[in-house]
This record gives sequence, C-alpha cells and structure tokens, in this order.
Amino acid sequence: MNKYEVIIDTLPAKGDRVEILFRQAGDGFIQVEYGHEQRVELLDSFRMLAADKKIKDSKIQGLIETLPSLRANMVHFDPTIISPQELIDRIKEIEESIPGVEDMVIDSRIITLPIAFEDSQTKKAVEMYLKQVRPDAPNCADGYNLDYMAQCNGCTVEDIKHMLLTTDWYNSGCGFWPGGGFFWPMDPRCKMIVPKYNPPRIWTPEGAVGIGGACLFTYTTATGGGYQLFGRTIPTFQFSMKHPQFKDGPFLYRPSGDRIRFVETTEKEILDIYEHVHDKTDYVYDIQESQIVVKDYLEFLRDPEVVKGAQEFAAKQEEGSKTAPKL
Amino acid sequence: MIKVINGGIEVLTEDWPGRLGYMGLGMAAAGAMDNLALQLGNRLVGNELTAAGLEIAGGYCEFAFTRDGVIAMAGADMSPTLNGEPMGMWESVAVKEGDRLKLSHFGEKGFRSYLCVAGGIDVPVYLGSRSTCLFGSYGGFEGRKLAKDDVVKVYPTELAGKDGRKLNPKYIPAYENDWELRTIPGPNSAPDYVTEEGMDYLFSHSFKISHNANRAAYRLEEVPDYFWAREDGGKGGSHPSNIVDHGYNMRGAINVTGNTPSLLIADGPTLGGFVCVANVINADLWKIGQGIPSRDKVHFKLTTTEEAIEARRERAAMFQADDLFL
Repeated sequence: MNKYEVIIDTLPAKGDRVEILFRQAGDGFIQVEYGHEQRVELLDSFRMLAADKKIKDSKIQGLIETLPSLRANMVHFDPTIISPQELIDRIKEIEESIPGVEDMVIDSRIITLPIAFEDSQTKKAVEMYLKQVRPDAPNCADGYNLDYMAQCNGCTVEDIKHMLLTTDWYNSGCGFWPGGGFFWPMDPRCKMIVPKYNPPRIWTPEGAVGIGGACLFTYTTATGGGYQLFGRTIPTFQFSMKHPQFKDGPFLYRPSGDRIRFVETTEKEILDIYEHVHDKTDYVYDIQESQIVVKDYLEFLRDPEVVKGAQEFAAKQEEGSKTAPKL
Repeated sequence: MIKVINGGIEVLTEDWPGRLGYMGLGMAAAGAMDNLALQLGNRLVGNELTAAGLEIAGGYCEFAFTRDGVIAMAGADMSPTLNGEPMGMWESVAVKEGDRLKLSHFGEKGFRSYLCVAGGIDVPVYLGSRSTCLFGSYGGFEGRKLAKDDVVKVYPTELAGKDGRKLNPKYIPAYENDWELRTIPGPNSAPDYVTEEGMDYLFSHSFKISHNANRAAYRLEEVPDYFWAREDGGKGGSHPSNIVDHGYNMRGAINVTGNTPSLLIADGPTLGGFVCVANVINADLWKIGQGIPSRDKVHFKLTTTEEAIEARRERAAMFQADDLFL
C-alpha cells in the first residue's frame, strides 16, 4: 500500500449497488463514493439521497453535516466525539438497509417556477459581460446566449425553450452558492449540453436561470457565474427570511430530490412576483408534495418513443457540438 | 460599543467554529481565519471561546471605545497603540470611554490580528453564527467589512478582574514565513487521481502564496504536469483536475484547478468540479490565516488522522490549561 492511499474502507457491490468507497478527506471529513467510475447517473443520486436522509435522521453523535452530490457524499464530523471507523460502520449499516434502487419510492416535491425568457436583467448581464469581460464572446454573438445554446445542440431556439419547459429538473443536492441546487433533466430527450462561459461573468441577477454542461442552476442571489442564460425566474432564496416560505431558513430548495418545472410568463409578471416575495411577502409558492416511483421512472426511460427521441436528439447534439464555436 | 474611526483594509466580525451545518445548502462555515488567536484573545478577556471578535487583515485601522471595557489584541503584531501609547499583544487591558486604539500594519510575520472585547461582539446570530461570510455578503455586521463611522455593539458583561492578564509566553503561537501545515491526503490522491511522484512533490516542496489569496481561497504556485495520474477528467471535464461535481472537504481542502492548488478556507466554495488532493488538519488551519499573500510560503507535512485527532485534543486542553496566563 502506498503512503498516499486514501480508501480506508469499502462496502462490496451487491444487487444493483455498486461498490462503495470510503475515502479519508482530513481529520474531520470522510467522502462516501459510489463506484470507481466518474459517471453521471440519476440512479446514483436517488440512492445517495436516500442514504443521506437516513444518515441525517439517525442523529449520529459527532456528525456535523453532510454534503451529498451526484455520486459522492462528503461527511463532516468531529473525530473527538466519533472515530472515523465508528462513523464508517454506521454508514455501512445504513447503506445495507437501503433496498435496491429499482424498488425505491422517493419523496420529491414539485416546485413550479415561472420564467421570463431573455428578460431585461439577464440581458443586462450579457451586455456587461461583452463590455467588460469578453467583447468577442461567441456565446453572446447576438447579445444573448439562446442562439449559442441552440447551435451547441444542433437545434432551434424554440427547441431549447421547449426542452426547458417540458422536462422536470431533478435536484441532486445543494451547494456551491447559498441555497443553490444542481438540477438535471429527467427526460433524456431534453438533455441539452452547453459549455460554460470562459472566462466567467462578473455579475448575474438574482433569479437568473442558466445551464452549464447538462446541469441547470437558478441563481439564488446576484453573483458572478459561468452558466449560459435562459432568462429569469422568481426568488428561490431569501436572506432576510421575511416571507413565510422562508421562515425556517433562507432556502427554497432542500438537498433531498426536489424537482422544479418551469412555466413561461412575462417579465412584468416576474417583477410583480419579486415584489410579492421580498416586499409584500404574500406570494404563494406552487409546491406540491410528491414522489418519484423509481420503477415507473425506469419504465419511462425504456419507453421506445423516449429512447428513440433521446437518440435522435443526441445525434443532433453531436453534430451541433462539432460546429458550434468553442469557448 | 466600538466606533470605527478608520476601517483599514478588511475588518470583519468572526467567531469560531463558524456557521456549521449548512454546507449541504451551499453555505461555507466562514469563521475566523486564525481561530487560535481569536480563541486565545477570548480567553484573555474572559469570554467563551465561541465569542465573536474583530478580525483585522493587514491593519491600518483605528477604533474609539464609547464605553469602558476590557480588550486584548491577539495574532499578528500590528504595533497597536492605545491613546498613542504602545499596547502589548496577548494581554488584556482596561479601556475607558473615549480611548482610541490604533493599528499600524502587518510586518515581517503574520497577516491577521484579532481585537477581542470582554462580552464579545454583539451582532445578530445568523444561522447559528456571528461570522461574516464576505463572499456571500451575509452574517456578521450587515454581511460586510466595517467602515468609518460604523458603531459595533458589545455584549454587556462584568469587567472586574478581567484586565491585566498576560498570556504565558510558552503559549504564544510561533509565526513563520514558511508555514508547516500538517496535512492528510484525500479524497483524491495517488494512485487514482495523482501520481505518487506528484504527491511526493506536494509533500516536499514549499509553495509560495499567490497575491490572489483571500478568505475563500489561498492560491499557491503551480504543480508540475507529472502531478496527474489521469489524461483528462472523464465525465467531469477535459482537464485531469476535473471531476464530476462533488462536495469539498472545506475548511482545509487542497483543491487543484488546472495545475493551480488552492487552500479552501473560511468562505470557500462548498462544492465543485475539481479534485481535492489533501486536507490541512483542523489544528493547523489557523496558520493559513496568518500567511502573508505574495510573500510567505507553506509546506505540507504528511500526517495521520490519529495524529490530527490528538492535536485537536491537545489544543482543546491548552485553552483550559492552569498556566495559560502568567
């Protein structure tokens, strides 16, 4: 064993579970990783979040917090209260108690968010970028990003908007920026892929909706950022916690498999909602308690029409990615 | 109460251990960059270890006290003066209403100084902490650094017997210009992400701290190309420093973007698409905050988890030592 070996324990593969690796990550951190392969599979996340919920619910003494992502969970703990091996043993027990992913039913809220495409604020962000950062940015050639996104995916701007509005977007975990979620398309026919800004923007308005790689993000507060922009949605975070939706914390999303879906509206409507969230605090968020039945989802993925649609789109995308300018 | 006469470079309200429990919601722990100085300062003025103080980076600032109190300066020596007279570091001093505390600037060693006040700094507790996250503009004093004419509140407390304490010199931390950081490899190490030779380089080289060093990241000089065990980042991206987005072992992660390693600290990102090759142990995090940007160096010393846990226990015991003060 080399002196830099960091995999301190493993749980062997079983059924549809891949091997689980426990990687040391400091004296207060252990990373739980699913498998050796760097892959992007929502099924990994379904399992990850189920295990994460159980870890949190079991109130392990010395556990400070967890930070789940698509295929890894960073566990933060106080090693003067619980030893790394004791913690690993508890997590192993929890992993063993989780059924095969095919039999899972996952609590997953559906949050409906209005969006105004190409609104004046996100347009301003692109203008600022062209003026102050990169005047020749090919992703902003026409003053916005939708055209470039269409080029990258070998489709039209209307197709891009249609895909955003058609699929549900699944949150594999929160992070990077306060309250931010990482959202993935559940319908493979809507899996657009775009490169990130290079270099990144210096300003993005609150509520901007963007995509980088295949991952969608709603900007919770004004900040820099590198995702290509669609437009603007309503507040998904509130520092002041004034609005009743935020009375327990500034966060709208939970790191527990939320889904968001977008409906198109006007910029006027969006601005009106900002006022009702941040000033009048009487906007009512459209949030449905719901579940993902994994068996049904897998059946949907196997539906010949979905398979065919996804293949056709992937082919167009491959062509598009060849001809679209690199960033 | 403390009135800011001159806010200097960067004065922030910070506590320790900071804002824990929100990494999974995108919020870094923030907290004092040198938690050792802050906690020693708190002990000197009779506070709980978790009380908030003022973190002063660089210096060039001045404060006026609008009420009697007891204060201590801990951390880098910025030649503090009280009403124009030199004031000692690492000791508690009584101040009267109207007294002026002035700091010059950082010198040969150390970059951050802490003003601790008996009672502790009174700012709203936001999500469990009084720390400022400067990058997210929240927490602490209105989510920002202090500026001229700000008035910072202090919790009222009994002052009797809290002044005149001096830290036993054997507990005054040693400041260097090439800081030894005890470090544990992982989660992304050799052989799967980094070559063994690459890890050897990491653990045998002194890295200069870049000018681009702040409360989120201390950037260091680059690692050589032979650092990498992979050709590319696979599904994570084109560079071998890429990985499918994962949570960071923050604070203390050595995160590598391209060939540039950064120490992720206080306000750093909680999650992202780059490898974290090692982690500076909890007991040595304070040294990063004292590293002078674009001048000091750091070097990493290979350490085991057991040694790191023992170092945590020793630190906790030290704060309670009978001979902490003279």
